[in-house]
Amino acid sequence: MNNPSRPRSPHVQVYRPQLTSVLSFGHRLSGLFLSLGAVLLVGWLLAAATEAQAFTHLNAWLGSALGLLLLFIWTLALFFHLCNGIRHLLWDAVIGFELVDIYRSGWIVVFSSIGLTLVTWALAFWQMG
Amino acid sequence: MLIKSSDELPRKTLFKRFPIPSNAQVPPEFRIQPGKVWPEPEGAKNVKRLRIFRYNPENGKPPQIDTFTIDRDDCGPMLLDALLKIKAEIDPTLTFRRSCREGVCGSCSMNIDGTNWLACIRSMDELDEPAVIYPLNNLDVIRDLVGDQRHAFAQYAAIKPWLQAEAPSSGIEHLQSPEDRSKLDGYYECILCFCCTSGCPSHWWNGDRFLGPAVLLQAWRFLADSRDQATAERLDELEDPFKLYRCHTILNCTRTCPKGLNPGKAIAEIKAKMITRQS
Repeated sequence: MNNPSRPRSPHVQVYRPQLTSVLSFGHRLSGLFLSLGAVLLVGWLLAAATEAQAFTHLNAWLGSALGLLLLFIWTLALFFHLCNGIRHLLWDAVIGFELVDIYRSGWIVVFSSIGLTLVTWALAFWQMG
Repeated sequence: MLIKSSDELPRKTLFKRFPIPSNAQVPPEFRIQPGKVWPEPEGAKNVKRLRIFRYNPENGKPPQIDTFTIDRDDCGPMLLDALLKIKAEIDPTLTFRRSCREGVCGSCSMNIDGTNWLACIRSMDELDEPAVIYPLNNLDVIRDLVGDQRHAFAQYAAIKPWLQAEAPSSGIEHLQSPEDRSKLDGYYECILCFCCTSGCPSHWWNGDRFLGPAVLLQAWRFLADSRDQATAERLDELEDPFKLYRCHTILNCTRTCPKGLNPGKAIAEIKAKMITRQS
């Protein structure tokens, strides 16, 4: 391992993306994105509790196209991380390790997280009228 | 969309590889260059093109991708047949490991069209056009398709892959019920080709300390054996943030195993046993 006089054979550069690895990387990325969202949430609450003007500005920015896009991605990240987290809990109980079950649960996670995101946003817009 | 067994080929995918620079983190002297395009066989009607990773430590050149064209009407059906034909008739310097040519020795494991498999049991009908062949991932390349597996075998030796038991006082062999024996099914068949370990992203990033799926499957094979008496010591050895717990259940291992085994499940069994022995 780590012989500098030899080239290392390529790995992530050539390995084919598969549902297995893509969802795992997605879990990491969504977790990272959610922790950024947590910072924003704290800032939003802080502004609400202290600075009326800052709160108005922040809300206006969140209501802009970019803000809405970010919020949409945050919702998707939240539901994906939640659904895939449940998948991981089942795996920790040694459930669902047959290859077909790995793929089945993977696609369930993909479609249910997209579905839950769309339902949440539909409800939000319906509430706002 | 559903893959039922590991010998199924990937169907339509958005990307054939991850959208990152192909020479990410590669020192300049080892960046892969375009290589030689070998002449096509004359008069061949049914051809297959193979793009193969080449590296020769003696010519001082960086690795390169050579293109070979095979007359399939004058060649055996498997990828290994094509590699042997290239070595015999086109370029005798092409270097790769092979032995049994029937999927039981695990020597000819390599990265074929982006996933790891044995060249001897991969039909050329199943290859992309052109097919792209790399050595097993994340190994120091000795030459062409031969990677240095010393580290992988050292990790294998570290889990003490042999039965640890006192000699039975009865003076006869260790007895095992058929039920206990069946607990080893799906674990004892591993041929140590290291397709799974080489395809494991966790092992790419932390391969120096994470044992990887092949070795952990072997570890479970001895933990699951009713005759083995070193279960506690084996678990103590594995109770480590890196050796075992760098497995994040990515499951590329189970997807790629040419023997259809389930290293991902074996690792989950070890993790579960770690928890149950604490309670």
